[in-house]
Amino acid sequence: MWASFNAVFRKEFLHIFRDRGTLIAAFSIPVFQLLLFGFIDQTVKNLPTVVVDQDRSSASRELMDQMRASKTFDIVRVTSSSHEARRDVIAGKARVGVVIPPNFQGKQLRPEGAQVLVLIDGSDSNASAQALASINGLIASKNLTTIRATMGRAGQPVSAQPVIMFNPDGRTANYIIPGLIAILLQIVALVLAAVAIVREREKGTLEQLLVTPVNPLGLMLGKLVPYLVIGVIEMALVLFLMRFAFAVPIRGSVVFLFGIAIIYLASLLALGLFISTRAPTQAQAQQMAQMFLLPSIFLSGYIFPAEGLPVVLYWIGRFLPATHMVAIMRGVILRDAGPLELLPNVLALVAISAVLIWGSSRQFRKVAL
Amino acid sequence: MSAAEGSALIAEAPAIAMHVDGLTRKFGDFTALDRVSLRVPSGMVYGLLGPNGSGKSTLIRILCGLLVPTSGSATVLGLDVATQGEEIRRQIGYMSQKFALYEDLTVKENLDFYARIYGLAGQRMKTRMDAAIQLTHIGPYIDRRAGLLSGGWKQRLALGAALMHEPRVVFLDEPTAGIDPVARRELWDLLFELAAQGITLLVTTHYMDEAERCAEVGYLYLSKLLTTGSPEYLKTLPSVNKPGTRRLEIEVRDTARAMAWLRGQPFCLGATIFGQAIHTVVRESLSDLELLERMHKAGFPGATARAIAPTLEDVFVTLTEEAADARKKAGVV
Repeated sequence: MWASFNAVFRKEFLHIFRDRGTLIAAFSIPVFQLLLFGFIDQTVKNLPTVVVDQDRSSASRELMDQMRASKTFDIVRVTSSSHEARRDVIAGKARVGVVIPPNFQGKQLRPEGAQVLVLIDGSDSNASAQALASINGLIASKNLTTIRATMGRAGQPVSAQPVIMFNPDGRTANYIIPGLIAILLQIVALVLAAVAIVREREKGTLEQLLVTPVNPLGLMLGKLVPYLVIGVIEMALVLFLMRFAFAVPIRGSVVFLFGIAIIYLASLLALGLFISTRAPTQAQAQQMAQMFLLPSIFLSGYIFPAEGLPVVLYWIGRFLPATHMVAIMRGVILRDAGPLELLPNVLALVAISAVLIWGSSRQFRKVAL
Repeated sequence: MSAAEGSALIAEAPAIAMHVDGLTRKFGDFTALDRVSLRVPSGMVYGLLGPNGSGKSTLIRILCGLLVPTSGSATVLGLDVATQGEEIRRQIGYMSQKFALYEDLTVKENLDFYARIYGLAGQRMKTRMDAAIQLTHIGPYIDRRAGLLSGGWKQRLALGAALMHEPRVVFLDEPTAGIDPVARRELWDLLFELAAQGITLLVTTHYMDEAERCAEVGYLYLSKLLTTGSPEYLKTLPSVNKPGTRRLEIEVRDTARAMAWLRGQPFCLGATIFGQAIHTVVRESLSDLELLERMHKAGFPGATARAIAPTLEDVFVTLTEEAADARKKAGVV
């Protein structure tokens, strides 16, 4: 078993270093993706806004100044026709239209109050939600000021004191990158391992190997462990970039993080092994790997919060290794969570890995040997 | 295994290297091998012939312990293929028609890998690698990537890897398919060298000249072993030399048309082109003179005829036709 493992392990590394293209891709794709996604900022700024000012009063100008000051809105045009505003929103020239009616200033003092019509382009739900919150907040604080002035009271009756823990600046990078690492590891470990085994069968070298007294377990581990090593190196590289290029602090234990990463990688390699027993060609192996990658991206909570998923998709997500890895990465990196706090995720990941390794190696012995 | 143990095993090597007895292998409803029996003495070069799909590869896979027989039995070096596959694989070498080593690794790395797979280490590994390099003369290419070698050198490398652990039986599945004639001859010289050392070789091939070089050949057709024996013996088989017939070689200018004409004659039992001549089987009652006269009349002047012995190809063609006829009579399509 040891001799077989040793022989196959050495040979696999020769393949990896000989195949420069794949090696470079294995390391550069995650780095590029990290750089690309790491810079994404989901806080919306400078939404192009058209204002229909039918009042042309000091009050309407004051409202526009406050909108500008909020940084959410970038007033690209001021007009007097509400038709034009609507047209601009439809054409996509403006994401928000604000209609200030005639006599806006005067109505504010009357009992029925003044109304501002706000048109929001809802085709991007994230941007529109932020625009809505921003304009509501703006109007609310405006009302508060007026009420306070009329009541002659200094403080507010009730005010919320929100404390955002762990990511106080609301930086998207802090949220995205820990999850992204889980996804990136998946691409490398799953695809490379599956392709490496299918290639041996495609080229007939596996057949030659099977007429030797090679130990099946040694062969299997010798093929997979090199990709575990590559996955761990890659994890270190991406964590390093996250910490020093994107200044995302790692609050929890790095040792725990790597321990979990090894379990996670083992589950991916087992999946790769399983794919290799089903795919006759390298191209098919890659396509099958994609079938696992897409749900992992969308159902793991990496992009969409798992709480927002329909029940069925939520439960599918619970069975994906990536789901638990994303949760653990965020927990350890952002919240200094340890094994105890993350116990449900850790146990789930260990269980999924164990089942995958057991099932895949059985399948591999049955089909390939 | 220590060297002492190794030599002890060789000393008590059985006289019969492979013994196949009533071997049948089915894949679902399909019978890939049907009651095949043969014996291969130690140190013999045994040729296995037969069309593609006749069961050659299945037989080799069973003998390597990769497939279990459905019924019947087979032993290699006295070991049962059904239960002692792993022990068998320690003592056999295998080389396939398709180059099955790693093209992106160098010659040395390939040999090194197989040495380790066979559990060789230290001084013994070095000795065996040197021996493989010396035997195959691949030394000058030792650091070249296997994928850049020519077909002949690739096969030498594959053979070198298959011999790394001093196997006592080597299976070669169409080892010379697609390599040039010089490399083909050199490879066969190498095989005879191995046989002289007492190694048993089972070679599959489609080349008749290679079959002629084998000490014994077996012919598989549609899962059945139609015959086995030395090439000389097969040429004397009664079904190949039917009583009341003669085998002739006819030299004539227009071979293609003459063959077509011959095939239409009642006295002719078969005709095929062999280079510039026609090999034909005719009724014994027809003399050479009569035949040439008839050919002259039919528009083939200046033909000459001489009696010949059947070639191995004649043997296989005749046996194949016979088997096909028997199947037709039995109502099998």
